[in-house]
Amino acid sequence: MNELELKNLWQNSNEKLEKSLNINRINSKEISRLKIYHFISSMKPIKIFTLLIGIIWVGFGAVILGNLFIYAFTEVSKFFLFSASIQVGLTAAAIWIYIYQLINIYQIDIAEPIVKTQERLASLKKSTLWVTRILFLQLPVWTTFYLSESMLENGNWLMWIIQAAVTLSFAYIAGWLFFNIKFENRNKKWFQLIFKGKEWTPLMKSMELLKEIEDYKSTKKE
Amino acid sequence: MMRKDEKSKQFQALIEQHKGILFKVARTYCQDKEDRQDLIQEISIQIWQSLDRYNSKYKISTWLYRISLNVAISFYRKNAKRQNRSIPLNEHISEIKEIDQTDKEEQLGLLEHFISELNDIDKALMLLYLEDKSHKEIADILGISQSNVGTKIGRIKVKLKTRFSQLNS
Repeated sequence: MNELELKNLWQNSNEKLEKSLNINRINSKEISRLKIYHFISSMKPIKIFTLLIGIIWVGFGAVILGNLFIYAFTEVSKFFLFSASIQVGLTAAAIWIYIYQLINIYQIDIAEPIVKTQERLASLKKSTLWVTRILFLQLPVWTTFYLSESMLENGNWLMWIIQAAVTLSFAYIAGWLFFNIKFENRNKKWFQLIFKGKEWTPLMKSMELLKEIEDYKSTKKE
Repeated sequence: MMRKDEKSKQFQALIEQHKGILFKVARTYCQDKEDRQDLIQEISIQIWQSLDRYNSKYKISTWLYRISLNVAISFYRKNAKRQNRSIPLNEHISEIKEIDQTDKEEQLGLLEHFISELNDIDKALMLLYLEDKSHKEIADILGISQSNVGTKIGRIKVKLKTRFSQLNS
């Protein structure tokens, strides 16, 4: 089959296809409603819920910790104070990235050339990896916030060995994940284990698309 | 900014005149009739939202192809799970079946199957190639150089030729 026959085959079948699909006449009132529906549906309720909980958590945390720093710094456990501050600070950073992403996604001009728009969209999606990396950094502080000065004075060697082993391993895992969760490792088993599930499918597809875009940009005439 | 009823009329005329573009894009990215209908609606919404920002320095078809393909690729990614189903050859062409065209049906089925196996951007390129668009317009729609378009089309044509010769042998 030559090129012309192929194109004819495709174009003739288009006419038949048009008969089987239809575009409903949409008036401006209907499409305004659809616009709102579209915006809400693309931000899944679970994501909005997570974002709200995150903002409330950081807000409460900031108020409580701020008061403790100002009015009760000498009385409260420094382990708790600094662990909680790191945790709240990292959560705030993750929320900030998430909000920044959402704003950027909605500002993208869909009428720009395909490679440019898709690269921007996929890069933004890919930046979700930053949220995961930052959240993993919190791991070690979950093993230190409950410590106190009295435990330091009265604790035995065994307790401190176990505590140190747990905190150091969490710190190592957090650091390792922070530096290794990146696009280049997307085919590794541990990576796919973390990013398994349909919530992550668009992210994985975005990374594949970025690879395709790179191929397109690097294509040279042979 | 256009008045709303004026915009509505312009939108409807535009869609009516160029609905073929929407159908072809939907056909290229979705095998399922229901998905196609959803995608057409999604594209229509994006066209409506972008109408005020239309830049007349581009051909209307270039502008429409950009929106339709951008939406289709994003939609395709969002629905990746559905798209991952295997597409049995010939099953998805039932809606364009004609009794005395078995050979053509088979070839069309093969062509659609071939397209379904391409990556997101290659699909767009293949569609524009089959629609007989010039290299310049393809380059404008995709945002790559004309020579790059030529190289990529060349590669796809080689793959396509191999596929069709496998069928014939």
